[in-house]
Amino acid sequence: MSGGIVSDRTAASEAAGGDGVGLLQQLRQRKAGLVGLSGIAVLLIVAVAAPWLAPHDPASQDLGNVLLPPVWAGGELTYPFGTDAIGRDVLSRLIYGARSSVLISVCAMLLGGTLGVLTGLASGFYGRLVDTVLMRLGDIQLALPFILIAIVILGMMRDRSPIHLILVLGIPAWIVYARVVRSRVLSEREQAYVSAARSLGASNLRQMFRYVLPPASKVVPPIALIDLSHLVIMESTLSFLGFGLTSPSISWGQILADGRQNMIASPWLPVLPGLAIMLTVLTINLAVEGLRDDGTPRRRRRRSDRKAADADRAAAPARLPGREVSIDGGAGGDRDGDGDPRASADDVQGRDGDGDGDLGVRRNGGGGGQAQPLLAVEDLEVEFDTPTGVVEAVRGVSFTVERGRILGIVGESGSGKSVTSFAIMGLLGEQGHVTGGSITFDGTDLTRAPEAVMRGIRGPRIGMMFQNPVGSLNPVLTVGYQIVETLRVNRGMDRATARQVAEEAFGTVGFPDPRHVMRQYPFRLSGGQNQRVMIAMTMALGPDLLLADEPTTALDVTTQAEVIDQLLQVREEHGTGIVLISHDIGLIGEVADEVVVMYAGQVCERGPTETVLNDPGHPYTRALLGAVPQPGAPEAQLAAIPGELPSAQQPLVGCPFADRCDHVMEVCSRRDPALLPLAEDHDVACYLHHEPAAPEQVATR
Amino acid sequence: MSALLEVDDLHKHYRLRGRGWWGQRSVVRAVDGVTLRLERGEALGLVGESGCGKSTLARTLLGLETPDGGSIRFEGRSIDEVEPRWLQRRVQMVFQDPYTTLPPHMSIRRIIAEPLIIHGLAKGDELQRRVDALIADVGLPAAVADRRPRQLSGGQRQRVGIARALALEPSLLIADEAVSALDVSVQAQILNLLRELQERLGLALLFVSHDIGVVTHVSQRIAVMYLGKVVETGPALDVYADPLHPYTRVLMDSVPDPTRRGRDRMRARGDPPDPKDPPSGCAFHPRCPIAVDRCRDEVPLLEDWRPEQHAACHLALEPLDGADTNEVDRSAT
Amino acid sequence: MAWFLVRRTAQMFFVILCVVTLVFILLRAASGDPARLMNAADASDEVIEATRARLGLDEPVYVQYLYYLRNLLRGDMGQSFYGAYDVRDVVLAALPNTVALAVVTMLVSTVIALVLGIASALKRGSALDRAVQVYVAAAQATPNFWLAVLLVLVFAVQLGWLPAVDFTGPASFVLPVTTMAVALTPILIRTVRQSFIETLGEDYVRAARARGIPRRKVLLVHVLKVASLPLITLLGLQSAMVLAGSYVIEVIFNWPGIGKLAVDSLVSRNFPMVEGAVLVAAVAFVVINFVVDMTYSVLDPRIRLGAGT
Repeated sequence: MSGGIVSDRTAASEAAGGDGVGLLQQLRQRKAGLVGLSGIAVLLIVAVAAPWLAPHDPASQDLGNVLLPPVWAGGELTYPFGTDAIGRDVLSRLIYGARSSVLISVCAMLLGGTLGVLTGLASGFYGRLVDTVLMRLGDIQLALPFILIAIVILGMMRDRSPIHLILVLGIPAWIVYARVVRSRVLSEREQAYVSAARSLGASNLRQMFRYVLPPASKVVPPIALIDLSHLVIMESTLSFLGFGLTSPSISWGQILADGRQNMIASPWLPVLPGLAIMLTVLTINLAVEGLRDDGTPRRRRRRSDRKAADADRAAAPARLPGREVSIDGGAGGDRDGDGDPRASADDVQGRDGDGDGDLGVRRNGGGGGQAQPLLAVEDLEVEFDTPTGVVEAVRGVSFTVERGRILGIVGESGSGKSVTSFAIMGLLGEQGHVTGGSITFDGTDLTRAPEAVMRGIRGPRIGMMFQNPVGSLNPVLTVGYQIVETLRVNRGMDRATARQVAEEAFGTVGFPDPRHVMRQYPFRLSGGQNQRVMIAMTMALGPDLLLADEPTTALDVTTQAEVIDQLLQVREEHGTGIVLISHDIGLIGEVADEVVVMYAGQVCERGPTETVLNDPGHPYTRALLGAVPQPGAPEAQLAAIPGELPSAQQPLVGCPFADRCDHVMEVCSRRDPALLPLAEDHDVACYLHHEPAAPEQVATR
Repeated sequence: MSALLEVDDLHKHYRLRGRGWWGQRSVVRAVDGVTLRLERGEALGLVGESGCGKSTLARTLLGLETPDGGSIRFEGRSIDEVEPRWLQRRVQMVFQDPYTTLPPHMSIRRIIAEPLIIHGLAKGDELQRRVDALIADVGLPAAVADRRPRQLSGGQRQRVGIARALALEPSLLIADEAVSALDVSVQAQILNLLRELQERLGLALLFVSHDIGVVTHVSQRIAVMYLGKVVETGPALDVYADPLHPYTRVLMDSVPDPTRRGRDRMRARGDPPDPKDPPSGCAFHPRCPIAVDRCRDEVPLLEDWRPEQHAACHLALEPLDGADTNEVDRSAT
Repeated sequence: MAWFLVRRTAQMFFVILCVVTLVFILLRAASGDPARLMNAADASDEVIEATRARLGLDEPVYVQYLYYLRNLLRGDMGQSFYGAYDVRDVVLAALPNTVALAVVTMLVSTVIALVLGIASALKRGSALDRAVQVYVAAAQATPNFWLAVLLVLVFAVQLGWLPAVDFTGPASFVLPVTTMAVALTPILIRTVRQSFIETLGEDYVRAARARGIPRRKVLLVHVLKVASLPLITLLGLQSAMVLAGSYVIEVIFNWPGIGKLAVDSLVSRNFPMVEGAVLVAAVAFVVINFVVDMTYSVLDPRIRLGAGT
C-alpha cells in the first residue's frame, strides 16, 4: 500500500547509491534460489550416476529378506531403507527411480520449453495469421483434459519407453511457454524504449534481438522450473496408475504403487517414494522463489540501529528542542489545559521549556483570536517499511489550519507532503507508522484515536481528494453507487434520500444531467469529470476540513482551473478549511492563504502566502520559485537546483538541503536548523537567519 | 535557402474500432491540416492540452507514423523520398518518460553508443571516446557510464535520453514533453541544458509541451494546437503579451500565477470535446467565452492578423479582456 | 454484449467440434481395427467382416467421421464392446459422480482459499501468513495420489474413521475431497492473497476509507468485487484441473465416475467407452470455461462496456 507514496523516494534512494543495499537484498533473495538450484543439480547427478551410487541392483531379489524395515525402524545397514515385498533394496530402487522421474521430466521440460519458446516468438514476431492460428490451437489444447488424454494415449501402447513419456508429457506443455513468451514479446514491443530505438534507426531485427528479447526472455526460467515441478508430479502420477514406463524400468510412482499393496504391514514402502517426489518438487519451487522478485516489506533496521539514529539527532542540539519551541507555541499549551493524557518523554521535555509561553501567545494571536485551530499537526514523524528498509517519509512536521482558510503544502516528490495527509486520515496502511508527534483535529489527537473514532471523522469531518481522480473511484462500481453508499453510511440516509442528495451534489459541481452521471462507471468519465465527482462526493458530507492531495496534477490546465474554482467555491459556501497539497508553487501561491514548504520530510519554511512568496527566507523556497519558467523573461537562465533529493533511508545529519544549497555554510552539514520565526508568523529553518544554538543554550532555555 | 523543416497541411487520422456493444468504427483526426515552418537553429514551441495532436505530430515528423495527407519537407527534400537513415541522422527525439524510454537491460554507455553503432559512425576507441564526450556534454558524471537506467534518477535518465538523441549530431531535436515527468527543480536543469545545447550546437528545437509557461520560456516562436489544428502561431513574446485566439488566452490564464491572485481570468466552459466527434465550425466554440453564431457554422482559417502572428479565429481582433470572463456558464457542458 | 455472447458461443461450439475430431482421430487411428479387437482372437474373417459392416467400418475414414458426428448429434455414442450397454447410458450415469466430487471440492477449496487468502493478505508477515505460506509450499509439492494413499492408510486403515473406497454416503466425500482440495487450494490461496494485496493498495480503496466507509464494508464490497475477478478466472481454469485430478482420485478411491470408467475401459480395451468418457469430460470442460468467461464479463463492467476506447 505504501508503494505509491514512497515509490519515488525509493527510486531516488536507489539512485543515490543504494547499490550496496540492492546487492545485499539480491543475495538474500538468491539464497533460496541457490539452495533450490543446487538441489536440482544434486538430483540430476543422482539420476545420471544411479548405477554407481546404488548399493544394490534394483531388480535383484533377496527373498530371504522381504519387507525389511528401514534402519531407523530396526532394519539392517545392508538395506538402509529396507526391502520390498520381493526383497528388493528400496534405496537402490529410489535412486534408479530418480533416473526416470527426473530425467524424463527434465527432457520433457526442455522439449516443451523449446517448442513453446519458438512458437511464442513466432507468434509475437509475425503476429496476425501465425499468431491467430497458434493461439487458437493453444486454446483448443487447453480445453482438453490433458491427463485423461495422456492416459488414453499411453494406455493404448503396449510398451512404453522413456521417449514416449517425454513426448506425451513434453509436447502439451508448449502452450504455457508460448503464451507467456508471446505476451511478453508483444508487451515489450510496445515499450517506449523500443519505439525510441526505432527512431534511432534500429532495424526490425535489431529491435527484436537487442531490445525486445533480452527483457522478454527473463520470464522463461521461472516458467520452466514451475513446469518441471508439474512434470515430476505428472510423470509419477502416470506411473502410479500403471501408464508409466513398462518394466523393468523403475520410477517413483511405480514404487509407490507397488508399496501400496503392502502398506498395512510396511507403511514406509509408499511413504518413502512419496517423500522423494515431494522433496524434489519443494527443491524446484525453492529455485523458483529465488528467481522471483519478493516484494514483502521488511522492517529491516533493527531496534539498536534506530537508537543510534536517534542519538545522532540528539547530538545535533538545535534540532529537537528548537522545533518543540515553535510547535508547542501553536497549540500545546491549550491542550495541556484540556488535560490531554499524552506522556511521551519528548513532549514533556519540550513543553517544560520556559520560552514556549511567549510564542504560544503570539501564535494564538496570529490565528485570528481563535482558541483552537481546526487542525494542528505537531512534530509529526512517519516511517514506512519497504523491501529495502525503513524510509523516514516525514521527519518532524508542524502546521495548523484554521476554519475557512486554505493551507498550501508545497514540495517536490518525496518531500513527504502526501504522506502527511495520509497520516492525518489515519490511512498510512500497514507499512506506515506514525513514530512521533501528534495530529490534533478539533481537540482530538488523531494519532491516538481508536478506529471507531476515526471512522466518525473520515468523511463527515475530514474529506479527502486524491491526485488520480479516475483511480480514486472503484472501477467496477457506478459513480452513483459510490456516492449513495457514502451518504448512507455517513449520514444514515435511506436509499431514496441519498439518491436525491447525490443528484443535487452532482448538479452543484456542474453536471448538466446528474442522473446520467450516476449510472456511469468511472472509466467512462474524463479525468476532470471524475475529479468533480470526487468533490461532490466529499462535499456532500459537509466536512470541516478538506485535504486535497494534488487534486489537479493529472488534469489539463484548463480543467485544472475549473476544479480549483470549485474548491474555492466550496470554501466560500461552507467555510471549509482546506489543505491543498501540490508540487506547483504557482498554484499554491495563487490559492493558499498560508504556505508550508516541505523538503525531505521536513518543513523548511512556513508563513502567509504573500510573505513567503515575495520574501522567501529559505534558499530552497527561493530556488523553487526561480525554477518556474517565467514566459516574460525568456533569456534568463532558470534557477535550477543542482543534485537530487537526499535518500530517505539514511538518517539525516544537518540540514537536508545542505548538499544542494548555494549558501551552504560549514554548520549546515553538522546541524539541522530549527524552524524559528523570521518575522510575524513567518518561520524559517535556516542558519542564514538564526545563529545555531550552542548545546548549553538549549539546556538552559 | 529553404527552411529546415516545412510542414504543409499535414493530416494523420486514426481509425478506432469501438469496443462497445456493437463496436462502431470511428475516426480521430489527431492531426488535421497542420502547417508549420522551422528555421535552422530556431526553437519552436508546440503547446496544447492532452489529445490535441501535438505528440502525434511530433511522431509523424520523426517518421514513427505515416501521414495520411500533406507533406513534410526537411532541408527542402520531401521525407517520402529520402532514406529513413538520412532523416534519422538529422531529426532526433527526446521522449517524455525517462523511466520507460531507456532499455532497462543496457548500460548507459551502451544506450548512448547504440545510435552510433546502428549508423556505423564509430567503432572501438573512437566509439568510447564519443560516448564519453556525450556523457560529459549533457552534464552527467563519467561514473554513470557503466550503470543501468534504474540506478539513475529521473533527471539523470532524461540527460541520457538527450545524449542518445545528440549522438547522431542531428540538426533538429524534438523534445516531446521532455520535462513533464520531472520535479520542478530538475525540470529547470533540463530546460537550461536544452537551451544551452541549442545555442552551443546551433540545434533547431521543436519543443512540445502542455505547459505554456515552459514552452514560451524555451522557444522563440510558439504554435498553439487545439483538436488537431494549429489555432495560433507567432513569436513567443508577442503571443504571450497579446494572444489573438481566445483559447491561447484561456490556456495562459489557466496557469496558476501568484502575481495574479484574485484577478479575473478567462476560463473555458465545460469539458474538452470528444475527439471522435468534434464540434462543427470552430472546434473551440462550445467552450469559447466570446463565441458568436458564426463560430458554430464556419471553420476559421489561420490568417495573419499581425506581422508574423497568425490565428484561426473569426474574432481574432476583438478585445478579449472586455468579455464576460468570470462567469462560467456551468449548464453548458 | 449480445454480440460478445454470440461470438463466444460460436467459439465454444468450434472448440467442441475440434475436441470431437481429436478424440475420433486419437482413438480410431491409434487403436487399430476395432472389429478385430471386439471379437475373439481366433474369430473367422467373416465374423470380423460382419462386425465391420455392422459398425460401418468398411466405409472410408471420412465417412466414418461423418457418421460419428451424426450419431453424436443424435446422442448416440455407440455400444460397449462388452455386454449390451449403450455407451451413453454408462457415461451419463458416471458423470454425476464426477461432477459431485468436483463441485464439492471446488466449493470447499474456494471457501478455504478466500478465508486463508484474505486473512494472510490482511495480516501480511504475521505468524498466520507465514503458516499459510508453509502450507501452500508443502501442499504444492505433495503428489495427489500419494496423499490419497496416506490418507487411506491413516484414516481408513489404521483409525478406521472413514470409508476408504467406494461411494457409500456423504462420509465417502471426506477423503477424496480433502485430497483434491490440498492440490487445489495452494494456487487459489496465492491468487486471493496476491490480488487482495494488490487491490488493497489501490487508490480507490484508500479513497473509500477516506470517505468514511467502514473497513469491513470496503473489504466486502470494494475490494472483494475487484479482487475476486482473478479468482473467478482461475476457478475456471482450475475446474479443468479438478476434473482431470478427479480421474486419478477416482481410481484410488474406487469412485464410480468418468475417470475410473475411462481408466477401467482403457485397461480392458473397451474403446467406445473410453471415447465416450473422454468426450463427455472434454465437453464438460469446455462448457465450464465458457460459463466462467461469461460470468467474468458480467462482473467486470470494464469488459462489458469496453474500457479504454
